[in-house]
Amino acid sequence: MKIHDVGMAGTLESSDITIHIEDNEGKGIEIGLKSTVENQFGNQIRKVIYETLQELEVKDALVCATDKGALDCTIRSRVMTAVNRACQSNTYPWEAK
Amino acid sequence: MWDDNLREQVIQLEAEAEKRQLEDFLAKQDLALDKDVEYAIALFDGVKIAAVGCFGGKVLKCIAVEGEYQNKGLSAGIVTALINEEYRRARTHLFIYTKPQNKLIFSELGFYTIAEIPNKVILMENKSDGIIKYLAEIVGEKITTGNTAAVVVNCDPFTLGHKYLIEYAAAKTKKLHIFVVWEDRSSFPSEIRYKLVREGVQHLPNVEVHKGKDYIISNATFPSYFIKKFQDQVETHARLDLEVFSQYIVPALGIRKRFVGEEPYCKITATYNRIMQEILPAHGVKVEVVPRLTYDRQAISASRVRELIRIGEMDKVRELVPKTTYQFLISAEAEVTINQIRLTSQRH
Repeated sequence: MKIHDVGMAGTLESSDITIHIEDNEGKGIEIGLKSTVENQFGNQIRKVIYETLQELEVKDALVCATDKGALDCTIRSRVMTAVNRACQSNTYPWEAK
Repeated sequence: MWDDNLREQVIQLEAEAEKRQLEDFLAKQDLALDKDVEYAIALFDGVKIAAVGCFGGKVLKCIAVEGEYQNKGLSAGIVTALINEEYRRARTHLFIYTKPQNKLIFSELGFYTIAEIPNKVILMENKSDGIIKYLAEIVGEKITTGNTAAVVVNCDPFTLGHKYLIEYAAAKTKKLHIFVVWEDRSSFPSEIRYKLVREGVQHLPNVEVHKGKDYIISNATFPSYFIKKFQDQVETHARLDLEVFSQYIVPALGIRKRFVGEEPYCKITATYNRIMQEILPAHGVKVEVVPRLTYDRQAISASRVRELIRIGEMDKVRELVPKTTYQFLISAEAEVTINQIRLTSQRH
């Protein structure tokens, strides 16, 4: 999927994560992360974001994530929704065949 | 954590009673409702306000939580609501203007410090590299060494006075950087002001014109420049703006000197200039105040030009602005702006 616009999903509440995603034309995937559990899970969070983007076939994206201790499933959902919003797509990734 | 009996509600600023309730709440927290607040949201416990947050443009402000509700994470909910609304309004690069003791709270909510005036105020943005990217934009490929200077102008619109100041400064330096104030609070839109400056200084080879964007006398770095009534805040805001300037822009461009036009009319600008003469020399930047160019024994100022436009004396305008500006003023493109000037009157 190609990122056209800016997309955001999530909240700043405890156990959630805010994903901001925008185009990063030709520069691959860049992830900026700020997390309350950076030391413990920083790399795991980056990995989940990266893998979710790969699953969605997003090649270039600049991601800003503000994490408040979200679980992997939450991170995945927030990334999917943010990408979906940034692509102005009408089909949710979990519905697409 | 959300308290179950708290409900989120947008405050209708047009409704007197609701606005008064918000102002009373903020007053208790030692805050005043800024004039430019365009959106306010509150958490209510019954009819009582527990927490509020507001924004004007891209700056989040007036965020407060009542004493007994503190330490429950309510500010996260408020800030989330504000950010969502800002995104809905297509603004994604956001700033927070707050007291230094709140630094940690907002830092956990994804904001990064740009500059701080101890015990007074701190400016944060929601991008870790916002200002770094801006610096990369203005520095370009070639870095000049030696005698480099800067001048910050609003140019609403570009007059012979501005041209004189810039020519004077350019003659005295090897390289002159001109920053055009970017906030759209002036009569002429930023892009137009920028264009007129560029056209007006074309004949000077050692001059570079930059867009001031968010970091030079913007709504974020110097809010009271645009809100004319908060004299007591002006000094703090001026310090913050100059702090950003000397911490980031000065080293990035190797600026040694800042030229500024003498300010006989506007108190806020005069205060700003006074603080500049105090702060910049401490960072190794000289300040030179250049007297205004006079015409017919009156200092040329953009506000006078706008006044003449307002009363329709275009012949007199012609004597005070460069050809390039005059050409624009009589073009069809300027019509909307001129009509607006005729309807209003203000200093900047």
